[in-house]
Amino acid sequence: FSAGAGIPSRNAILVSHRQKGNPLLKHIRNVRWSFADVVCDYSLGQTACALYLSLRYHLLHPDYLYYRIRELPKNFKLRVVLCHVDVEDVVKPLLEVTKTALLHDCTLLCGWSLEECGRYLETIKVYENKPADLIQGQMDSDYFSRLNHALTTVRHVNKTDVVTLGSTFGSLSNIMDASMEDLARCPGIGERKVKRLYDTFHEPFKRVV
Amino acid sequence: MVQFHEHIIIDLLEDSQGGLVILSAGLGLHKLIAALLHLHHPSQGSLLILSSSPSQKSSILQNYDSTLSSSSQSPQPSEITSDLPAHHRLSLYSSGGIFFITTRILIVDLLTHRLPTTSVAGVILLNAHSLSDTSTEAFIVRILRSSNRALFVRAFSDRPDAMVSGFAKAERTLKCLFLRKLHLWPRFQVYVSQDLERNPPEVVDIRVPMSPYMIEIQKAVIEVMDACLKEMRKTNKVDVEDLTVENGLFKSFDEIVRRQLDPIWHTLGKKTKQLVSDLKTLRKLLDYLVRYDAVNYLKYLDSLRASESFRSVWIFAESSYKIFDYAKKRVFRFGRLDGGKSAGQSKTATTKKRKLENSNREKEDSAASTDNSAVLQEVLEEPPKWKVLRDILHEIQQEREREFVSDKELITEDRGHNSGIVLVACKDEHSCMQLEDCMNKGSHKVMWEEWEKYLLSKVELQALPKRNKKKTKEPKGFGMLDGVIPSVSGQKVEISSISRQEHEALLAVASEISKKFEKNIVVEDNLQKSEGSGTHKRRRGKGKNKNTLTNGKSEKKAATSGKSEIHSSEDDNRKNQCISTDAGGFLEQPNEVASSEKWWLQKHGQGFHAELLDNNKQLPPVHFHALDTDQHILDILQPSVIVVYHPDMAFVREIEIYKAENPSKEVKVYFLFYEESTEVQKFEASIRRENGAFESLIRQKSLMMIPVDQDVSIGLDSSTEPESIISQNLLTRKAGGRKDAEKETQVIVDMREFMSSLPNVLYQKGMRIIPVTLEVGDYILSPLICVERKSIQDLFGSFASGRLYHQVEMMSRYYRIPVLLIEFSQDKSFSFQSASDIGDDVTPNNIISKLSLLALHFPRLRIVWSRSLHATAEIFASLKANQDEPDEAKAIRVGVPSEEGIVENDVRAENYNTAAVEFLRRLPGVTDSNYRAIMDACTSLAELALLPVERLAELMGGHKAAKSLRDFLDAKYPTLI
Repeated sequence: FSAGAGIPSRNAILVSHRQKGNPLLKHIRNVRWSFADVVCDYSLGQTACALYLSLRYHLLHPDYLYYRIRELPKNFKLRVVLCHVDVEDVVKPLLEVTKTALLHDCTLLCGWSLEECGRYLETIKVYENKPADLIQGQMDSDYFSRLNHALTTVRHVNKTDVVTLGSTFGSLSNIMDASMEDLARCPGIGERKVKRLYDTFHEPFKRVV
Repeated sequence: MVQFHEHIIIDLLEDSQGGLVILSAGLGLHKLIAALLHLHHPSQGSLLILSSSPSQKSSILQNYDSTLSSSSQSPQPSEITSDLPAHHRLSLYSSGGIFFITTRILIVDLLTHRLPTTSVAGVILLNAHSLSDTSTEAFIVRILRSSNRALFVRAFSDRPDAMVSGFAKAERTLKCLFLRKLHLWPRFQVYVSQDLERNPPEVVDIRVPMSPYMIEIQKAVIEVMDACLKEMRKTNKVDVEDLTVENGLFKSFDEIVRRQLDPIWHTLGKKTKQLVSDLKTLRKLLDYLVRYDAVNYLKYLDSLRASESFRSVWIFAESSYKIFDYAKKRVFRFGRLDGGKSAGQSKTATTKKRKLENSNREKEDSAASTDNSAVLQEVLEEPPKWKVLRDILHEIQQEREREFVSDKELITEDRGHNSGIVLVACKDEHSCMQLEDCMNKGSHKVMWEEWEKYLLSKVELQALPKRNKKKTKEPKGFGMLDGVIPSVSGQKVEISSISRQEHEALLAVASEISKKFEKNIVVEDNLQKSEGSGTHKRRRGKGKNKNTLTNGKSEKKAATSGKSEIHSSEDDNRKNQCISTDAGGFLEQPNEVASSEKWWLQKHGQGFHAELLDNNKQLPPVHFHALDTDQHILDILQPSVIVVYHPDMAFVREIEIYKAENPSKEVKVYFLFYEESTEVQKFEASIRRENGAFESLIRQKSLMMIPVDQDVSIGLDSSTEPESIISQNLLTRKAGGRKDAEKETQVIVDMREFMSSLPNVLYQKGMRIIPVTLEVGDYILSPLICVERKSIQDLFGSFASGRLYHQVEMMSRYYRIPVLLIEFSQDKSFSFQSASDIGDDVTPNNIISKLSLLALHFPRLRIVWSRSLHATAEIFASLKANQDEPDEAKAIRVGVPSEEGIVENDVRAENYNTAAVEFLRRLPGVTDSNYRAIMDACTSLAELALLPVERLAELMGGHKAAKSLRDFLDAKYPTLI
């Protein structure tokens, strides 16, 4: 009784027969899916699987999730509990779900609509083999973006200020070397920003005496 | 001290528990506090002053010193910073002194039991308006109160308008500080108005008409603002009542809008969000219109256009065009001429008209090719207030001379206590400097300088990249370096042929000026070398030129304390003579020679003294003061004439108090308003708003329900457990009353997390909080569980920066159960986006995609979704239920590179200039592996900026990285016109 036993293509989400009639299926549009004999609700490839849980259902059957998790095979690296938040008062049921998922090695993902839940399933399937570049902070590499990126670390400095600073001082090293008075002369840069900028550039990295 | 101050203190001292005092802005809060401090005696225990801003701190100290009487027993207030070692702090706490302290240090010391609560006599809390029941201040008071019932808490706020935002804020503030008494002291209170109106100063109200263009601009901005507001109403997401243009003039308008929109912020469309920020921009435009001169205003608009052109809605509105157009017309006019002549090289500051040929794309050469001639005519409209200010000063001087003639003796006698200084109060430092220049050199010249600077900033940027181009081989990712502006930059695309000519004409003028400057620089440099003066650093033309121009005037840096210098004007003369020899260099020297920090403070303490020795101009001694600095200088300067250049409610009150304190002194006040401007509106509305706030507070006070026994209920508990009522209730439900003493749960919390309220809430839940500095994670719940907490805002931000990836990576490396806690805010919606925003396809920028990717890459990562702070606390408690307690010593060592050694258990975060470190890490070439080495080798970013590429290569472990950093630092900022 192994997951994904059968012929269906590798590029499809395998859906357990249990999920028949779940309106969620309507929202899986960007990836093919087919019913299959799988233990989990959705098999999202070789390494990932998902259980679907509506919070409303959980309130009626608080033990359901635990039993479902228990029978999940261990060979999936990523085991997702996809929780559909469909009640108003979420704190208590969500706490229970969180605890069960956390202590039984499942990753909890919350969706507030069937569309959102469906999108999670699609995304995990589509991104199955995607590298992590997207979340590793590779930003635009042109000069403006980089300058913005750096200067806006200083609190309250905004993009307009970056332009002002850039056009007043000409280059980043000039900005870093500017005196308080020069900074104060820039339109739009007030007292506090001047101080923050100046401190950032001139205070030592380490404040140790 | 004015009489009503005494009333306030007497009222406040009545209740031994303390109270909350709210008084009108500008009624001398610092004097009040200083007087309170004098009443303190070391035998009572120590007195802690919390959450004071730096400027408040300094003015309190200043006042404290000046009112110090010999009989007073109270010790000198000092400051407790993280620099002090722990044991030193302990001895200070028990010394009975008066201390300014930050909440972060205090809470940590309280939690680690470094501070014996019994040695604290009381707490003085400033800025009470920024308090909430989950803030650290409330946390501190809770802990202190629970073990020391005799303690008093005296909270103050001089921002009544902030005190009425939100539901029953005053009452909630009282409750979270365990206070019962609310004291309201509005300006219209009987004692206050009696005191202040007994001897009112002589007031001259001058309404200055705005120039026609200014009126037009103001009209246009308001039109656009109105349009934006209408648009906003259409969204049906905000309450229409508060959305008026008048409200739009205030900063608090943003608050109103945000409060309404926050719960649904993530469901809002892009357009609505943009409208909110547009309104903010427009408000600034109105403000700057009356504050900046024409050239700077144009410059600001240019920057705005360059940075905003894409996203904004307003920039494309019909009236916005007018704003830009009129702003330009205030500065120059552009026309065309047939058959132009060659450019005149000799441009003196007085020529009004220039005929320029349109140099071709290579602006460097002004070698003439006259195919297309254009006339650029400078208009350089002066702000109308300048002239009025000069007139006033002349008038004052004439009056004085007349008096001087009529009775000489009286004047000389006066000199003793009357400095004769005219105080000009403006909003910001920038206007101060400019006005000072104006009075010294004449307004026309100042406008010219601004104009030249404006042009220069354009041409330098345009020209310089070309030189660079030959050397630098255009490293990847620096598309802007070669001086070609990508067609992206908005307005560039739509440049019509006329504006292109205009643009070129501008550049042509600019390049000539720059040449002139370059010559100047060379001359200057030679001069400086031969003189061997202190300033060797090559600076840009602007700075140099300043030197030559300042020759005439003597700019004086206050060498001694403010008072001594004001007493004697003859003395000043002498000083001036010796100082004026190096007056030119003064502007630049401080950053190199003197510790710049000190210089800054000094400058602000004194402002500028522009004393005109030149009698021909017949101006009295003037002191320019920036209101932004929040310094109270009236008492120090003792001016007899005050010109309120930018009206400000708080400052007006300060003048009133100053006058009330010195009833015998004659004080004359000039108000300068722009007639029918938003400036007047804003001033009047601010008074109305404050009165309204007080009325509402008075109503609230009459309805307030504060339980009498709120302290008793803690008191019962105080001997055994430091717990609040809330936590008791919760425990009653859970464990049937008392908690087992031996099974105390504890949580290790990163120092940086004390900025948030979660530690406070956890404490209320009965957990022991152990503050340490964590390299990995924010909260350690057990030896296995490590939590990284992200608010929604943070989550988006740290996904974008890649920080989250790094943090999760570290957590997974060191802990069995790494947890990402996504914490929603109670008053915002519990969802990322509305179903309609999800879109049809899997897109990489959606938060769903990012979370999925994170889950795929870290399958062991557990994600916890929390509705609110309080829900988080419950989740933590339940996760800890069957786990061991975390080990403090171990948690600290996790993830700390071994070469750093073991971290001392002190506030480590305080020891880093975190902004600078973050900045450094965002520079190209700087990586996780080399940033520590860089930080070791150079003390500050400013130093880093000067390192040559070879040295950088050494530090960064590679020539490539070093070069990309150096290139980035030196890259010329692309021009904007």
